[in-house]
Amino acid sequence: MIAENNSGGRAKGTGATIIRYRGVVKRYGAFTALDGVFLNVHAGEVVCLIGPSGSGKSTLLRCTNGLESIEGGDIEFEGTMLPRDERALRAVRQRMGMVFQSFELFPHLTAQQNVSEGPRTVLQMNQADANQRAAALLDKVGLADKAPNYPSALSGGQQQRVAIARALAMNPDVMLFDEPTSALDPETIGEVLSVMKKLADEGMTMVVVTHEMSFARRVGDWVAVFDAGRIVEQGPPRQIFDAPTTERTRDFLSHLGWSG
Amino acid sequence: MTLDWGVVWQNRDALIKGTATTILLTFATMAIALPCGAVVAVLRLYAWKPIRGLATAYVEFFRNLPLILVVYWAFYVLPILTGFGVSPLLTGLAALALNVTAYNAETFRAGINSIRRGQVEAAMALGMSRVQALRRVVIPQALRRILPVLASTWVSLFKDTSLVSVIAVTELAYVSMQVRAQTFRVLEMLTAMAIIYWLLGYPQAKLVDWIQRRYAVTE
Amino acid sequence: MEFDFAVITDHARFLASGVGVSLLLAVLSGATSLATGFIVALLRLYGPPWLKPAVVLYIDSMRAIPVLVVLVWTFFALPIVTGLTMPPFFAALLGLTIHLAAYAAEIVRAGIESVRPGQTRAALALGMSRSQILLRIVLPQAIVRMLPAFGSLLSITIKDTAIASVIAVPELMRQSETVAGQSFQPIEVYTFAMLVYFAMLFPVTRGVDLFYRRVAHLGRS
Ligand SMILES: Nc1ncnc2c1ncn2[C@@H]1O[C@H](COP(=O)(O)OP(=O)(O)OP(=O)(O)O)[C@@H](O)[C@H]1O
Ligand SMILES: [Mg+2]
Repeated sequence: MIAENNSGGRAKGTGATIIRYRGVVKRYGAFTALDGVFLNVHAGEVVCLIGPSGSGKSTLLRCTNGLESIEGGDIEFEGTMLPRDERALRAVRQRMGMVFQSFELFPHLTAQQNVSEGPRTVLQMNQADANQRAAALLDKVGLADKAPNYPSALSGGQQQRVAIARALAMNPDVMLFDEPTSALDPETIGEVLSVMKKLADEGMTMVVVTHEMSFARRVGDWVAVFDAGRIVEQGPPRQIFDAPTTERTRDFLSHLGWSG
Repeated sequence: MTLDWGVVWQNRDALIKGTATTILLTFATMAIALPCGAVVAVLRLYAWKPIRGLATAYVEFFRNLPLILVVYWAFYVLPILTGFGVSPLLTGLAALALNVTAYNAETFRAGINSIRRGQVEAAMALGMSRVQALRRVVIPQALRRILPVLASTWVSLFKDTSLVSVIAVTELAYVSMQVRAQTFRVLEMLTAMAIIYWLLGYPQAKLVDWIQRRYAVTE
Repeated sequence: MEFDFAVITDHARFLASGVGVSLLLAVLSGATSLATGFIVALLRLYGPPWLKPAVVLYIDSMRAIPVLVVLVWTFFALPIVTGLTMPPFFAALLGLTIHLAAYAAEIVRAGIESVRPGQTRAALALGMSRSQILLRIVLPQAIVRMLPAFGSLLSITIKDTAIASVIAVPELMRQSETVAGQSFQPIEVYTFAMLVYFAMLFPVTRGVDLFYRRVAHLGRS
């Protein structure tokens, strides 16, 4: 078990394991998108998934909250296997927040309503409490003044911060980020990353698919390098970026122009 | 050529009744075709496969037939299917409803399908059920695309009600042509008919334009 | 209840001539509507300002009045005004064209307006004339986008030819009525007519759908 042994040198590796991937296999028809993934995510850790396009990073995230079902291996969340039953799966999804590359804000709702929608419909919270929570979260991501705006009247960076607030509104135990800054202009990437950094500092457990190597290095506690549906190397950022042990990792990093 | 426009005024009661029937047919057809179209669309999207196929076949069949033929067909087939005589009005209504239901079903289906998959995923990632995602996220967005299409279907329907005149439903077109036949005032009656349709239809067409501008989808 | 489809084979020739007339009427009125629609759209977009209100009134009126009414008026009332009688087929061609050209004009206008203004500016910067810009830059881009709508218009045209039965054009609908009346077997005859119309219309709508998907896909890149 590669992953189990690899927790040496893991800063927050002493926390309870929140997500445990054991030999996860995902196929689309004849194509194998995930080919036996082993990885542990501990409480309070920021785990960054990096690797070339098409290597299966998004797929792993989508399997994590059951948006995709898996064909082999298993995924454990907070000590129990991910259920297959739709209703039970919904309960799990409530405890995982997800942030998408394309934001996916609901365009027919204001920023405030986007954030209160989950608490209202899923948690059946009353309007006043949901609004209060939404206001507090928009404030937290620095968008208190944009509450009445519709998504079309927000910049990309602002939309993504609202999306983060929307996910946080469910009070999740884990946040899953799928390339949250890839669709953004260089100037606005920073505002999203700093919100994510703040979350990490508050002790939120995060799984982040990213191409922002400097973020992975500065904020990440653990980095997993994907290639062709497998994790080819994982370890603390210093190991991955300064002393990669596999050829694949070195290749990938040098393609990005990363000089370690 | 001497024209006698008085004939239009003399037959105003019949024309008014015919106009009322035209309007009634339009409303009644839409009242049936909206819920039925929604049901057929849902069957097409989510039902068990053979049912889905049936719903699709129904929609494709009626979208690819001239309505006037459906009217004739209903006129001869409905009495046999139901075993008793059906009034021309009900027959016409049935034919129109069969036709418009198919169009509405296609409108609803296309509207729902036009919403990106990511929207449903975002809703489900929050823990919503499929039904909740459909109700709270997909349908409100789809409505913006559906409404303009429904509006133009409405105007088409208003005009298509004239086709049930061929089975002697006493709506505006039938009544006008009846009076023409009785009085031989061809130009006057046919022109009056066109003007009444225009007076009713023109504001509707303008309303459709307004709705389409208002709900224009910009992407 | 028994069905006897021999009535179809007995009148095969008669019905087939109806199919021929339907197709001929559809193709001819499709072509004339398209040509007229182009002219009307160009008048609306580039014509003299005083003409525009009239053009808009014509287009919107055709959207407001049923085809049946236009056909009946053209066949029965127009000859009283002009003093010239028309054979039914010609009246149908004229009536359908008057009606459908308005729709064609809207399609052409939407297509032309969908071409980004930057294209025109770029062509102006090259020193092209207005008509050169229209013919060489705008229309080639616009026509591809109009094609799916023209396809839908063709299927509407085929459907509308059936309404010409009301003014006794011997097309499929009319011939079917005749056979149905003579044979007292309306169900067989009309069911057959349904299948024939479906066979004519389905390939058109399918083709439009497929083409549309292709174009939409290309447009996204
Ligand atoms: N619904 C699907 N059907 C078929 N193949 C899919 C599907 N979703 C993903 N794939 C394939 O699975 C592989 C992994 O995709 P995934 O989106 O996980 O890659 P990724 O590592 O996130 O890449 P990127 O950095 O480009 O986002 C890709 O080759 C992709 O083509
Ligand atoms: Mg991805």
